[in-house]
Amino acid sequence: MIVLRLVLMVALQALILGEVAPFGVWSQPQWALWALLMVPPQLGPFSKLVAGFGLGLALDVACGTYGHHMVAGTVLGGALPSLHRLLAPRDGYEVTSRPIIRELGVNWVLGVTFSSALLYHLTLMVVDTWHAHLLGQAFAPALTSACWTTFCCMLLHLLVIPPGRNANRSS
Amino acid sequence: MRNLWLLLQRHAFLLVFALLLVVSLMVLIQNDGSARSSWFRTTGGVVSMVENQQQQWTNYLQLAEQNASLATENAALRSRLLSMKLTDAWRADSTHGWRVKTGWLVKGPDGLPRTMAMATPGLDESVRIGTGVLATGTAFGTVVDLGEHHARILPLLNTAGTWSCRLGQNGAVAPLSWDGVDPNKLTLNDVPRYVQWTAGDTVYTSGFDLKFPEGIPVGTVIEEVPSPGSEFKTILVAPMLDLKSVRHIEFIQSVSDSERTVLAQPMPAP
Repeated sequence: MIVLRLVLMVALQALILGEVAPFGVWSQPQWALWALLMVPPQLGPFSKLVAGFGLGLALDVACGTYGHHMVAGTVLGGALPSLHRLLAPRDGYEVTSRPIIRELGVNWVLGVTFSSALLYHLTLMVVDTWHAHLLGQAFAPALTSACWTTFCCMLLHLLVIPPGRNANRSS
Repeated sequence: MRNLWLLLQRHAFLLVFALLLVVSLMVLIQNDGSARSSWFRTTGGVVSMVENQQQQWTNYLQLAEQNASLATENAALRSRLLSMKLTDAWRADSTHGWRVKTGWLVKGPDGLPRTMAMATPGLDESVRIGTGVLATGTAFGTVVDLGEHHARILPLLNTAGTWSCRLGQNGAVAPLSWDGVDPNKLTLNDVPRYVQWTAGDTVYTSGFDLKFPEGIPVGTVIEEVPSPGSEFKTILVAPMLDLKSVRHIEFIQSVSDSERTVLAQPMPAP
């Protein structure tokens, strides 16, 4: 299911959703991140790392940006276990926990989504820019794009698995 | 061995993460020109630093030998200076296969983009088209036209000329030209981005244009013109001397000039 979701979101982003940037470079969305963020938090760190790498690889192949998304995806995949550990509830995650608003709450989903989007966009900013003297002017678009990606992911959460709907019957 | 295996197991996630990151960066560097140039600049800087340190140590260890060699060379030069007599005839430099002849400028460059210089002598003293012209031991220009008693010279301060130069004694070769704006700034174009330089580095003739022998100083590096995203860079060079105030010059030509000129022609199409 995870793989299917990743492939579907990569295809959607490469074909249609990637163009949804109402403010140009200030709002470059990464819709496919939603698929990575839907990886259950109690899953092993290797699975998250490989999922991040795979997402980046698929995005690079689909968008023709060889290497850029691979680096960003790997960094996010590597950081995701720590992020989940950092934001874990007091009693930890349940075996059946899913990263959706209904089960882990809006604060958790919003926090993980924004942190991940920010890390992803900052890494993309570094590998897109490379030269240190250009990083300053690329920071603000990366920040606003992270906000836009967070908004898009939250929208997907609400559309695909609304908070009031039984999560076990969804997806 | 068991401890090593346990250590690897304990840090397996970090190792896999590092491995995947390296793979990603390799793909990125192979496919992105900007990333590649940045990578080579960084690694080039490190290699250059290591080589400099190594060179300093080597120089320090070979100081005694170099000192003896310099003393010998100094003695030879003193001897040559004492026996040297300035004449109007061509003086052959048998060591490097070049000969020189003194001359003087009748009309020098005035800082305008298309101004040619004129000097004497000309054909009457066997000066030939393509002969290089030096001023105080630095490159000044080349002979492009000849009269009986005068020679027309294309100086460095002319936008029509392009000169093959080398950054440092063993650095990259790149074309030098003048943009016709500031007589104190020549432009070294198309220098590969990985080339390291520091302000004050000397730019020499490369010898590849067959007008000058290699190693004739032309100028010193001032600064780099910013060109983000480009594979090549442009470096500003200050001439060694004020080219507008030159009076005395030397014509310099290869002893085997005609043979070089013939062999340098492009191959005829079969």
